[in-house]
Amino acid sequence: MRAALMTAVIVGVLALLFVLVGAFYWLAAFLGVVSASLFGPGSEFIGMAVANMVTLVLVLVMVVASLLTVAERKWSSMMQDRIGPNRARLAIIPGLKNRSLGGIPHFLADGIKMLTKEDFIPAQASRFLYSLAPMMAFGPVFILFAIVPIAPEIPASAIPGIAGIAASFGTTATFPVSLTVAPNLDIGLLYAFAMAGLAVYGAALAGWASNNKLALLGGIRAASQMISYEIALGLSLVGCMMAYGSLQLEEMTEAQTGNLFGGLLPAWGIFLQPLGFLLFFAAAFAETKRAPFDAPEGESEVIGYFVEYSGMRFGMFMISEFVEIVVLSGLVTAVFLGGYHLPVPPAWGLEASIASTFGVFGLALFQGLTFLIKTAILIWLQLLIRWSMIRIRYDQIQTLGWKILLPLALANIVVTGVLILVDPSLNALGVLGIIVLALLIGITVLYRAPAKPASIRFAGQPAATPVATGHGH
Amino acid sequence: MAHDPKHEPREFHVEEDKGLTWFERLYVPAIIRGLAVTARHFFGNLFGDRDTNPDVVYRKGTLGNAVSTVQYPEEKIPYPVGYRGLHRLVPREDGKPRCVACYMCATVCPAQCIYIEAGEYSDDPIEKYPTRFVIDELRCVVCGLCVEACPKDAIRMDTFTHTPPEYSREGFIYPVERLLKGPAVAYPSDPWVKRESSAQPHQHVPFHGLAEHSTEPVPPKPKHPVGTVHPTQPRFQESDFQKPVALPRQK
Repeated sequence: MRAALMTAVIVGVLALLFVLVGAFYWLAAFLGVVSASLFGPGSEFIGMAVANMVTLVLVLVMVVASLLTVAERKWSSMMQDRIGPNRARLAIIPGLKNRSLGGIPHFLADGIKMLTKEDFIPAQASRFLYSLAPMMAFGPVFILFAIVPIAPEIPASAIPGIAGIAASFGTTATFPVSLTVAPNLDIGLLYAFAMAGLAVYGAALAGWASNNKLALLGGIRAASQMISYEIALGLSLVGCMMAYGSLQLEEMTEAQTGNLFGGLLPAWGIFLQPLGFLLFFAAAFAETKRAPFDAPEGESEVIGYFVEYSGMRFGMFMISEFVEIVVLSGLVTAVFLGGYHLPVPPAWGLEASIASTFGVFGLALFQGLTFLIKTAILIWLQLLIRWSMIRIRYDQIQTLGWKILLPLALANIVVTGVLILVDPSLNALGVLGIIVLALLIGITVLYRAPAKPASIRFAGQPAATPVATGHGH
Repeated sequence: MAHDPKHEPREFHVEEDKGLTWFERLYVPAIIRGLAVTARHFFGNLFGDRDTNPDVVYRKGTLGNAVSTVQYPEEKIPYPVGYRGLHRLVPREDGKPRCVACYMCATVCPAQCIYIEAGEYSDDPIEKYPTRFVIDELRCVVCGLCVEACPKDAIRMDTFTHTPPEYSREGFIYPVERLLKGPAVAYPSDPWVKRESSAQPHQHVPFHGLAEHSTEPVPPKPKHPVGTVHPTQPRFQESDFQKPVALPRQK
């Protein structure tokens, strides 16, 4: 019963996303046509950027992030054998009086609560910085999303209806349309690192401006944690940059359409760079300041850099955390999981057959859906990690960043460089990657720890070999 | 140091800290195993049906759903026999309370939450009855001493419900009208049963067939399983005790 319902819900959500991708494409192409007719040919990018900003950032990311506030609680309840939030009701809509709707109305209740709560500013706080900090946390994560390619670039004429509209506007539908706010940004990943580094200002400023010792501790923790992970974050992707020969996310995605071992596997980043994937995921996880790296907001130690914040200012910190999750998942998908390409090796010809059956636009819809599914799985994985691992102690976080991730990232760069030099077809790199993955999975599945001898002696049990004797009291 | 015969040397075992094994130092496989455990719970609870049976403590749903939460207002775990719930006054067969206004419960009550005013029946020179019998359920500590003290089995706490919520403190003051619930109860020893007329004291004439006065062997009581409600136990809802809409305020 519930299994059937859940399957139906999942299929329904996927169908909705499929339609949404099409709508996003259509709106981008339409606004492109409009701006071309207003500002002359060649200016289609203005309209497309506006459309993508609205659809991708405001609709997709913002809605997903708000839903994640509920999903986090609901998913965590499922991971912990609880029922989770189900008491908010949309009672004003007839027929929904006694429907919990999976707890989804809770995010509306949350929003109303955040917006109507008192917006408190401590008397001794630095008012300007105090107000600036949530925005500094909020802005960069959205800007970061600008370079994530959600769906491939297709000619506008492939989108149904656009050619006719373009003709009626007196322009031509020859421009390419892509679901990226800032498509084909050459500095790509460097931009991502720069913007990810900006996010620390929010936490540090909030900690400083609150004039609260605990907030300051949280802010300092956030700042030093970010610094210790920034380098590993950058270095862990250098291997991918070398393998793909580009910094641009679209090109990196396209570079993953190769075949490994004659079509046995797609040339995804995770197969070429499994170590780089682990390092980047760990470092990016630390950047999002979430468990197990949530020392900056460790509720049980220092309440966190936002301890003095309330109302929507606190809500901005919270939402930006969830947006960071979405953006991080998108980045990892684009760089390591083949981006928007279907999860089969191109040698199998699945994408080509879809393109010949449904046309370029149909393939783009499937690819956009694939990207969203991969992103959703990564988001879920982050929540899984959050609820499986305890918070790492503060010095252990620093140790992990400086002493483990950084040397491993450097070693990864050297080995990757040598293997690319030896074999430019990336097959040697792929072999190493598969060996590493197989070792990891093999050890995980097969290794059984030897049983430890019981260290507690019970009555009737022979005494363990004494290693020390004394006159005890 | 001289050996003290009173204190034999005690052996104690010190285990050397061998540090982490190579598997533990790898760290990532252990994390993946932990993630697998969490994911198993997630998918079991996502796709499996929840076991909503409140009668068992160890609830196991289908497909590995392990949620054991009881959604309280909708699902209720049955209380054990002897559970002390909301009070009720036991009626006799003519609908009046069995209470004879002896003040035993009000006297024994440690919270002093029972207030009684006694009255006399105009046609009965012996029996008293409570003109007012008021329990302040907010003061009640649910100790059950009133039930123990009552000589007439007139007050019971066998309703198996809680005090329903109210919007005012006055709502928790229960007069007779709200307390008098359940089926009538009669005993052979009840004076109003023994007398033909409630106006006259009764000559002791045994009722035929009543166990107290019969010479026939008493049949054994039918047993019912432990943990279930007795078949003769009246069942109540909280709504049975909610304040009536137009109840006159007592001064």
